[in-house]
Amino acid sequence: MQRELEAAGLSTICLTPVPELTASVSVPRIAAIEYPLGRTLGQPCDDAGQMAVLEATLGALESIQTPGGIVHLPFEWPEDPKEVQNHPPEDPPIGRYIVTHPWTLPRLLSRRVPD
Amino acid sequence: MTRTVDSYRFISGITRRMIKNWIKMEAPRPIPWTPLTKPLSECTVALLSSAGVALKSDAPFDQEGERQNPWWGDPSYRILPKDATEEQVRLYHLHIDPAYAEQDLDCLFPLQRLQELEDQGRIGRTSPRHYSIMGYILDPEELLTKTVPALIRDLKEDFADVVVLVPA
Repeated sequence: MQRELEAAGLSTICLTPVPELTASVSVPRIAAIEYPLGRTLGQPCDDAGQMAVLEATLGALESIQTPGGIVHLPFEWPEDPKEVQNHPPEDPPIGRYIVTHPWTLPRLLSRRVPD
Repeated sequence: MTRTVDSYRFISGITRRMIKNWIKMEAPRPIPWTPLTKPLSECTVALLSSAGVALKSDAPFDQEGERQNPWWGDPSYRILPKDATEEQVRLYHLHIDPAYAEQDLDCLFPLQRLQELEDQGRIGRTSPRHYSIMGYILDPEELLTKTVPALIRDLKEDFADVVVLVPA
Protein backbone atom coordinates (compact mmCIF):
# COMPACT_ATOMS: atom_id res chain seq x y z
CA MET A 1 0.00 0.00 0.00
CA GLN A 2 2.83 2.40 0.86
CA ARG A 3 4.37 1.50 -2.51
CA GLU A 4 1.21 2.54 -4.34
CA LEU A 5 1.06 5.90 -2.54
CA GLU A 6 4.70 6.61 -3.40
CA ALA A 7 4.17 5.58 -7.04
CA ALA A 8 1.26 8.04 -7.17
CA GLY A 9 3.61 10.94 -6.32
CA LEU A 10 3.47 11.15 -2.51
CA SER A 11 6.59 10.94 -0.33
CA THR A 12 5.93 8.32 2.31
CA ILE A 13 7.48 6.88 5.45
CA CYS A 14 6.30 4.00 7.62
CA LEU A 15 6.88 4.19 11.38
CA THR A 16 6.98 0.52 12.29
CA PRO A 17 7.78 -1.72 15.24
CA VAL A 18 8.31 -4.66 12.85
CA PRO A 19 10.86 -3.23 10.41
CA GLU A 20 11.89 -6.63 9.07
CA LEU A 21 8.36 -7.32 7.90
CA THR A 22 7.87 -3.82 6.49
CA ALA A 23 11.23 -3.96 4.69
CA SER A 24 10.41 -7.35 3.17
CA VAL A 25 7.68 -5.71 1.06
CA SER A 26 10.11 -3.19 -0.46
CA VAL A 27 8.71 0.12 0.79
CA PRO A 28 10.44 3.45 0.10
CA ARG A 29 11.27 4.63 3.65
CA ILE A 30 11.12 3.10 7.12
CA ALA A 31 11.52 4.55 10.61
CA ALA A 32 11.94 1.59 12.95
CA ILE A 33 10.89 1.85 16.60
CA GLU A 34 11.17 -0.76 19.36
CA TYR A 35 7.76 -0.10 20.93
CA PRO A 36 4.83 -2.48 21.53
CA LEU A 37 1.85 -2.72 19.17
CA GLY A 38 -0.94 -0.31 19.98
CA ARG A 39 1.37 2.42 21.27
CA THR A 40 3.64 3.07 18.34
CA LEU A 41 4.14 6.77 19.18
CA GLY A 42 4.50 6.15 22.90
CA GLN A 43 2.59 6.09 26.17
CA PRO A 44 -0.84 7.69 26.52
CA CYS A 45 -0.54 11.26 27.84
CA ASP A 46 3.22 11.41 27.19
CA ASP A 47 2.89 14.34 24.78
CA ALA A 48 6.61 15.11 24.78
CA GLY A 49 7.55 11.47 24.12
CA GLN A 50 5.05 11.17 21.28
CA MET A 51 6.29 14.43 19.77
CA ALA A 52 9.90 13.21 19.91
CA VAL A 53 8.93 10.05 17.99
CA LEU A 54 6.94 11.97 15.38
CA GLU A 55 9.73 14.50 14.89
CA ALA A 56 12.29 11.70 14.54
CA THR A 57 10.06 10.00 11.97
CA LEU A 58 9.82 13.18 9.90
CA GLY A 59 13.58 13.63 10.32
CA ALA A 60 14.07 10.13 8.93
CA LEU A 61 11.85 11.02 5.95
CA GLU A 62 14.10 14.00 5.24
CA SER A 63 17.35 12.10 5.71
CA ILE A 64 16.61 8.97 3.67
CA GLN A 65 18.04 9.63 0.23
CA THR A 66 17.83 6.17 -1.35
CA PRO A 67 14.76 3.96 -1.84
CA GLY A 68 14.40 1.33 0.86
CA GLY A 69 16.27 3.33 3.48
CA ILE A 70 15.70 2.40 7.14
CA VAL A 71 16.43 4.63 10.13
CA HIS A 72 16.44 2.88 13.52
CA LEU A 73 15.04 5.28 16.10
CA PRO A 74 16.84 5.31 19.46
CA PHE A 75 13.80 5.34 21.76
CA GLU A 76 13.60 2.72 24.52
CA TRP A 77 10.33 1.43 25.92
CA PRO A 78 10.41 1.70 29.72
CA GLU A 79 8.66 -1.61 30.51
CA ASP A 80 10.06 -5.11 30.37
CA PRO A 81 8.31 -7.04 27.55
CA LYS A 82 6.93 -9.50 30.12
CA GLU A 83 5.15 -6.64 31.87
CA VAL A 84 3.54 -5.18 28.76
CA GLN A 85 -0.27 -5.51 28.82
CA ASN A 86 -1.35 -5.88 25.24
CA HIS A 87 -4.25 -8.30 25.14
CA PRO A 88 -7.24 -7.38 22.98
CA PRO A 89 -10.53 -7.44 24.93
CA GLU A 90 -11.56 -10.64 23.10
CA ASP A 91 -9.32 -13.31 21.57
CA PRO A 92 -8.76 -12.60 17.87
CA PRO A 93 -11.13 -14.75 15.76
CA ILE A 94 -8.24 -16.28 13.80
CA GLY A 95 -6.56 -17.30 17.05
CA ARG A 96 -9.68 -19.10 18.26
CA TYR A 97 -10.09 -20.71 14.83
CA ILE A 98 -6.56 -22.10 14.78
CA VAL A 99 -7.05 -23.60 18.24
CA THR A 100 -10.14 -25.51 17.06
CA HIS A 101 -8.75 -26.22 13.57
CA PRO A 102 -5.01 -26.70 14.20
CA TRP A 103 -4.43 -28.29 10.79
CA THR A 104 -5.04 -24.88 9.23
CA LEU A 105 -2.05 -23.30 10.96
CA PRO A 106 0.24 -23.90 7.93
CA ARG A 107 -2.23 -21.87 5.85
CA LEU A 108 -1.93 -18.94 8.23
CA LEU A 109 1.85 -19.22 8.34
CA SER A 110 2.01 -19.15 4.54
CA ARG A 111 -0.83 -16.66 4.16
CA ARG A 112 -2.94 -18.95 1.99
CA VAL A 113 -6.50 -17.83 2.59
CA PRO A 114 -9.07 -20.66 2.17
CA ASP A 115 -11.57 -20.12 -0.66
CA MET B 1 26.10 4.23 17.79
CA THR B 2 22.45 3.67 16.96
CA ARG B 3 21.29 0.18 17.75
CA THR B 4 19.11 -1.93 15.48
CA VAL B 5 15.47 -2.29 16.48
CA ASP B 6 14.45 -5.82 17.43
CA SER B 7 11.21 -6.54 15.52
CA TYR B 8 10.35 -9.33 17.96
CA ARG B 9 10.98 -7.73 21.34
CA PHE B 10 7.28 -7.55 22.13
CA ILE B 11 6.07 -10.34 19.83
CA SER B 12 6.27 -14.04 20.60
CA GLY B 13 4.69 -17.41 19.93
CA ILE B 14 2.63 -18.03 16.82
CA THR B 15 2.59 -14.34 15.82
CA ARG B 16 6.37 -14.35 15.75
CA ARG B 17 6.48 -17.54 13.68
CA MET B 18 3.89 -16.14 11.31
CA ILE B 19 5.74 -12.89 10.76
CA LYS B 20 9.06 -14.68 10.20
CA ASN B 21 7.36 -16.93 7.66
CA TRP B 22 5.73 -14.05 5.82
CA ILE B 23 9.12 -12.31 5.62
CA LYS B 24 10.66 -15.42 4.04
CA MET B 25 7.90 -15.50 1.41
CA GLU B 26 8.72 -12.05 0.05
CA ALA B 27 11.26 -11.29 -2.64
CA PRO B 28 12.79 -7.84 -3.17
CA ARG B 29 11.09 -5.69 -5.79
CA PRO B 30 11.94 -2.36 -7.43
CA ILE B 31 10.98 0.40 -4.98
CA PRO B 32 8.81 3.34 -6.07
CA TRP B 33 10.40 6.68 -5.20
CA THR B 34 9.07 10.23 -4.88
CA PRO B 35 11.77 12.48 -3.41
CA LEU B 36 10.73 15.54 -1.42
CA THR B 37 10.74 18.50 -3.81
CA LYS B 38 10.34 21.16 -1.15
CA PRO B 39 11.21 21.55 2.53
CA LEU B 40 8.97 19.84 5.06
CA SER B 41 8.07 23.33 6.32
CA GLU B 42 6.13 23.77 3.06
CA CYS B 43 4.59 20.28 2.92
CA THR B 44 1.08 19.06 3.68
CA VAL B 45 1.35 15.94 5.86
CA ALA B 46 -1.32 13.24 6.19
CA LEU B 47 -1.46 10.22 8.51
CA LEU B 48 -2.54 6.74 7.47
CA SER B 49 -3.20 4.35 10.37
CA SER B 50 -3.97 0.65 10.18
CA ALA B 51 -5.54 0.62 13.65
CA GLY B 52 -9.16 0.64 12.45
CA VAL B 53 -9.87 4.21 13.64
CA ALA B 54 -13.29 5.60 12.71
CA LEU B 55 -15.48 8.47 13.85
CA LYS B 56 -18.29 7.23 16.08
CA SER B 57 -20.63 9.03 13.67
CA ASP B 58 -19.27 6.97 10.77
CA ALA B 59 -19.95 3.33 9.88
CA PRO B 60 -17.83 0.96 12.01
CA PHE B 61 -15.32 -1.38 10.43
CA ASP B 62 -17.01 -4.75 10.02
CA GLN B 63 -15.92 -6.84 12.99
CA GLU B 64 -18.81 -9.28 12.87
CA GLY B 65 -17.74 -10.26 9.34
CA GLU B 66 -14.32 -11.14 10.69
CA ARG B 67 -15.81 -13.11 13.58
CA GLN B 68 -17.84 -15.10 11.03
CA ASN B 69 -14.85 -15.63 8.72
CA PRO B 70 -11.57 -15.30 10.63
CA TRP B 71 -9.57 -15.29 7.39
CA TRP B 72 -11.26 -12.08 6.28
CA GLY B 73 -10.65 -8.48 7.36
CA ASP B 74 -12.56 -5.34 6.42
CA PRO B 75 -10.64 -3.73 3.51
CA SER B 76 -12.41 -0.36 3.59
CA TYR B 77 -11.04 2.95 4.87
CA ARG B 78 -12.28 5.81 6.98
CA ILE B 79 -11.64 9.54 6.93
CA LEU B 80 -10.74 11.40 10.12
CA PRO B 81 -10.76 15.21 10.25
CA LYS B 82 -7.51 16.72 11.49
CA ASP B 83 -9.09 17.83 14.77
CA ALA B 84 -10.68 14.47 15.67
CA THR B 85 -10.28 13.57 19.35
CA GLU B 86 -10.45 10.37 21.38
CA GLU B 87 -14.03 11.19 22.40
CA GLN B 88 -15.14 11.31 18.77
CA VAL B 89 -13.56 8.06 17.55
CA ARG B 90 -13.46 4.36 18.24
CA LEU B 91 -10.90 1.76 17.28
CA TYR B 92 -12.27 -1.32 15.52
CA HIS B 93 -9.40 -3.81 15.60
CA LEU B 94 -9.64 -7.31 17.03
CA HIS B 95 -5.88 -7.92 17.24
CA ILE B 96 -4.69 -5.06 19.44
CA ASP B 97 -5.70 -3.58 22.76
CA PRO B 98 -7.48 -0.35 21.70
CA ALA B 99 -7.68 1.00 25.25
CA TYR B 100 -4.49 3.03 25.02
CA ALA B 101 -5.43 4.88 21.83
CA GLU B 102 -9.00 5.35 23.05
CA GLN B 103 -7.52 7.00 26.14
CA ASP B 104 -5.07 9.13 24.11
CA LEU B 105 -5.42 8.93 20.34
CA ASP B 106 -1.98 10.46 19.81
CA CYS B 107 -0.18 7.36 21.07
CA LEU B 108 -1.22 5.69 17.80
CA PHE B 109 -2.66 8.43 15.57
CA PRO B 110 -0.84 11.68 16.42
CA LEU B 111 -3.28 14.29 15.05
CA GLN B 112 -2.65 16.76 17.87
CA ARG B 113 1.11 16.39 17.65
CA LEU B 114 0.90 17.04 13.90
CA GLN B 115 -1.15 20.20 14.48
CA GLU B 116 1.49 21.35 16.95
CA LEU B 117 4.16 20.80 14.31
CA GLU B 118 2.17 23.00 11.94
CA ASP B 119 1.83 25.67 14.63
CA GLN B 120 5.61 25.56 15.14
CA GLY B 121 6.29 25.80 11.41
CA ARG B 122 8.06 22.43 11.30
CA ILE B 123 5.60 21.25 8.66
CA GLY B 124 3.65 23.34 6.17
CA ARG B 125 0.28 22.11 7.35
CA THR B 126 -1.52 19.07 8.65
CA SER B 127 -3.86 17.70 5.99
CA PRO B 128 -7.52 18.57 6.55
CA ARG B 129 -8.27 14.83 6.28
CA HIS B 130 -6.43 11.80 7.63
CA TYR B 131 -7.07 8.13 7.04
CA SER B 132 -7.38 4.74 8.65
CA ILE B 133 -7.70 1.20 7.42
CA MET B 134 -7.96 -1.92 9.59
CA GLY B 135 -4.68 -3.76 9.23
CA TYR B 136 -5.72 -7.40 9.68
CA ILE B 137 -6.09 -8.25 5.99
CA LEU B 138 -4.60 -11.54 4.82
CA ASP B 139 -5.73 -11.17 1.19
CA PRO B 140 -5.01 -7.60 0.06
CA GLU B 141 -6.78 -7.70 -3.30
CA GLU B 142 -9.76 -5.47 -2.47
CA LEU B 143 -7.55 -3.17 -0.41
CA LEU B 144 -5.25 -2.63 -3.38
CA THR B 145 -7.85 -2.45 -6.13
CA LYS B 146 -10.57 -0.42 -4.40
CA THR B 147 -9.35 1.26 -1.21
CA VAL B 148 -5.93 2.46 -2.28
CA PRO B 149 -7.09 4.30 -5.46
CA ALA B 150 -9.77 6.07 -3.39
CA LEU B 151 -7.18 7.01 -0.76
CA ILE B 152 -4.87 8.41 -3.44
CA ARG B 153 -7.72 10.43 -4.92
CA ASP B 154 -8.61 11.91 -1.50
CA LEU B 155 -4.98 12.66 -0.62
CA LYS B 156 -4.46 14.47 -3.90
CA GLU B 157 -7.66 16.48 -3.46
CA ASP B 158 -6.12 17.82 -0.25
CA PHE B 159 -2.76 18.47 -1.97
CA ALA B 160 -0.96 16.10 0.42
CA ASP B 161 2.79 15.90 -0.16
CA VAL B 162 3.78 13.48 2.59
CA VAL B 163 2.07 10.45 4.12
CA VAL B 164 3.21 9.00 7.45
CA LEU B 165 1.99 5.41 7.80
CA VAL B 166 1.57 4.21 11.36
CA PRO B 167 0.62 0.59 11.96
CA ALA B 168 -1.48 -0.65 14.83
